[in-house]
Amino acid sequence: MNLAFANPGRFLAFIRYAIPWLAACGALIAALGFYAAFAYAPADYQQGETVRIMYIHVPSAWLSTACYGIMALSSIGTLVWRHPLADVSAKAIAPIGAAFTFLCLLTGSLWGKPMWGTWWVWDARLTSVLVLFLIYCGILALWNAYEDPARAGRSAAVMTLVGAINLPIVKFSVDWWNTLHQPASVFRMGGPTIDPSMLWPLLLVAIGITLLMVALHFAAMRNEILRRRVRTLGMLAATHEMKGIVE
Amino acid sequence: MMDDPHFGFIVAAYLAAFIVFVGLLLWIIFDYKAQKQLLAALEASGTRRRSEGDKR
Repeated sequence: MNLAFANPGRFLAFIRYAIPWLAACGALIAALGFYAAFAYAPADYQQGETVRIMYIHVPSAWLSTACYGIMALSSIGTLVWRHPLADVSAKAIAPIGAAFTFLCLLTGSLWGKPMWGTWWVWDARLTSVLVLFLIYCGILALWNAYEDPARAGRSAAVMTLVGAINLPIVKFSVDWWNTLHQPASVFRMGGPTIDPSMLWPLLLVAIGITLLMVALHFAAMRNEILRRRVRTLGMLAATHEMKGIVE
Repeated sequence: MMDDPHFGFIVAAYLAAFIVFVGLLLWIIFDYKAQKQLLAALEASGTRRRSEGDKR
């Protein structure tokens, strides 16, 4: 399958059908999840209604690291196998991951103010997620610093893999250090500690938004493939013009 | 829920999520249209990739 879609033309034909299905299924599942989160899930006995922010904050947090994981795997594809779509994938997922990380920080801040009494605290979890956002910004800047996408891809891949050291820090920061942020309550040894009435709407929203993220990723990859075709054709057109002038 | 003292924080969080998501979606849609237009303009001028046969 990996080799079958190594050809950008074949990949474009595949995502032409995949994007609408992914977007429709994602939107439907996310809508069901949000409906369940507001209509069926109870208010928290301590946090009250403010717990509803969890249904957007937690999926954003998961996707901020998932997008980085995709970017790191794509970077391995760029550096090790030189897969033709690997750096296209890495470049396409970077702004999406940055957007989810920004959303995670913003919604976390909006949740923290009423619950902790502060917008921000320099604890390990919040700081490591801020570092993740800054790494995303650095990678986006690096992509725009080079004229040649192949060179940009290799540099961004190295930076991405160096930055991947932050992923386990984000995940385990709440266990390694004493943080104001609560420890993991869904993906943890011993199973989730969150009540099923809140867990199911959360998982539905997370699955829906993940499908939407994949649809956005594919759409952004399509844009990047087109951008590279435009670049190639632009260079060909310029070469022809130069030849015309010389002749 | 609307009489909750922190209702404004909940609305702000969902509004921010909506704006970020729609912004991302619009950026991808407009970028796609822009690339398609540029590609069409170049192809209309007769420039083709070698794999498609250059008509010049």
